[in-house]
Amino acid sequence: MAENLFIIIAALVIASAFWVVFSPNLIHSAVSLIFTLFSTAGLYIFLYADFIAATQVVIYVGGILVLIIFGVMLTNSIDTPSIAASSKNQFIGGMGALTIFVIQVAVIFNTPWHIGTEQSRDSTVASIGNLLLNEYLLPFEIISILLLAALMGAALLSRRT
Amino acid sequence: MSNLSSLSFYIPELIIIIAILLVIVLDVIPVCKKYTFPLSLGAILLASVFLWQSYGESHGLFMGMISIDPFSHFFKMIFLLSTFSIILISRYEKQLDSNYSAEYNALLLIVLLGMFLMSSSINLIMIYLSIELVSIPSYILAGMLKNDKESNEASLKYVIFGSFASGLMLFGLSILYGITGSTDIGVVTAALQAIEYPLSIYFPLILILVGFGYKISMVPFHFWTPDVYEGAPTPITAFLSVAPKAAGFAILIRVFYTMFTLEGSVSATLPLTNINWPTLIAVASAVTMTLGNLLAVQQEDVKRLLAYSTISHVGFMLMAFAIISPDAVRAIMLYLFIYLFMNLSAFYMAIFASNKLNAHHINDWDGLSRKNPVLCAFMALTLISLTGLPPTAGFVGKFYIFAELFKHQQFYWLAVVAILNSVVSLYYYFKIIKSMYLVDVEGEVNKIEAHPVVNWSIILFSAQNILFFIYWEPLIGFIEKSINLWSG
Repeated sequence: MAENLFIIIAALVIASAFWVVFSPNLIHSAVSLIFTLFSTAGLYIFLYADFIAATQVVIYVGGILVLIIFGVMLTNSIDTPSIAASSKNQFIGGMGALTIFVIQVAVIFNTPWHIGTEQSRDSTVASIGNLLLNEYLLPFEIISILLLAALMGAALLSRRT
Repeated sequence: MSNLSSLSFYIPELIIIIAILLVIVLDVIPVCKKYTFPLSLGAILLASVFLWQSYGESHGLFMGMISIDPFSHFFKMIFLLSTFSIILISRYEKQLDSNYSAEYNALLLIVLLGMFLMSSSINLIMIYLSIELVSIPSYILAGMLKNDKESNEASLKYVIFGSFASGLMLFGLSILYGITGSTDIGVVTAALQAIEYPLSIYFPLILILVGFGYKISMVPFHFWTPDVYEGAPTPITAFLSVAPKAAGFAILIRVFYTMFTLEGSVSATLPLTNINWPTLIAVASAVTMTLGNLLAVQQEDVKRLLAYSTISHVGFMLMAFAIISPDAVRAIMLYLFIYLFMNLSAFYMAIFASNKLNAHHINDWDGLSRKNPVLCAFMALTLISLTGLPPTAGFVGKFYIFAELFKHQQFYWLAVVAILNSVVSLYYYFKIIKSMYLVDVEGEVNKIEAHPVVNWSIILFSAQNILFFIYWEPLIGFIEKSINLWSG
């Protein structure tokens, strides 16, 4: 049951991701991206990462994607095919992508991955909170400075002179 | 070391963080706005004092997130010196809008903090985060000239290349995490030793090299460099060409020497079994310097020419990186230190020329030596040093790298490529000298004086080229003491 569900969700991720890239219409790409991001959240749930799944939905689906669609809507002439992503050098690009795909598959099947012990837990939020204020305190604090820089930059660049 | 007890070893960074916040707050209060500039400089000076005092200490801080050791201290001194000088000189640069000087200084301080972390990260998460902390403010700084199309283009190109490169690097780091189940690079090292399938290491190694290579603008990840350097405000160009590159080398040396060598420390001499990354680096180095030089030859814009020349210098430093030995690290650190002075003084001269004469093109520099003979003499000295000819420090730097290459009797072909490249670089650096000295301009020539700060910055930084040619013994001794990485 769980395995079938996993396969369905994984297939959904891949299929919608393909549509994001190959769709001739920008709006279709954006809508298709919803499915990609949502089903990625599903994959996180399979990894027991409930917190990350929730943030994935809230931030990517709720925030960033709406922003992207707004951006597309606000640009002129959404229906003209000229803004549809035209791609060049498809053959070379395709070969490159294929090579990297083959390498990755080889790596995935030949690497002795680190396999953690099986655990059953209710929720990861509490332990994430603990880790953030203990082991990962410095990265947590540094991210706040990174966000400060990004905010300041956004305000700086968008302000009228 | 626990979080709380780490704080007492973290004072320079704390000073910088407090300065960042104060600069932002002071900017909002109209009366205090003018204090942001002295505050930024003062904070850097204060941080330098504390940094100097703690030199020689070696600890792992914040539960193994970062380490302080003589190695990171050496690089932090480079960062402090270059940031101080850039903040100082930016005040006298006409391109920049003084309304934004507080944001400008705050962003530079954030980059400084990011570089501090880059040179001392020993955890995969911190490695990624510190690179982002350097990159994101740099994107903004490159686009500071909001009404200048080239600056906008520079910023946008930088963002696109940067996010792509850091995405690939993140993928590489995640594979390492998948192999080891730990983000601590010490633990990763131990786990990598046991892996027999070479591709499992090559793949993340190359992906990580993409991220670091982009930071130091190694070919083929250099495409952003000329456009960003040309479009960004000149002080930012000078800054990007020196400080983040030094940070990139610091993290490159630390990560590669700890994770991808057999011994897993800076005293290593062999790469991981079956993983021949030194050859990879040697090829990248040859391509980097050749491409940088060949493209520099065709440039007519001074900033663009210097941009390509920095790429070729990176190639030179990578040449030493292709040899795994503590002496090679020493050669890289020496070269970086000398490169800091020569490159900054060259870019300051470009600032002077564009401020006073609106000169961007090499032809605009014609007859400059009659307008300001003193600065032109020092500029000529800098250019000779950049070429690597005696009697300048550039020669000393190149000498140590070549000595390393010959001592290890590896990569003779690389030495040949490097010598040919030096000859090529002679051509385009002397193009500037020729324009300054040998091209006559007709009519009356007025003397043009630089602002004293610009003037003395150029003179002081060029004079180092003579100083370190005669007297590099203490410098090399200091570097020798600094090749000391904290390990577990």
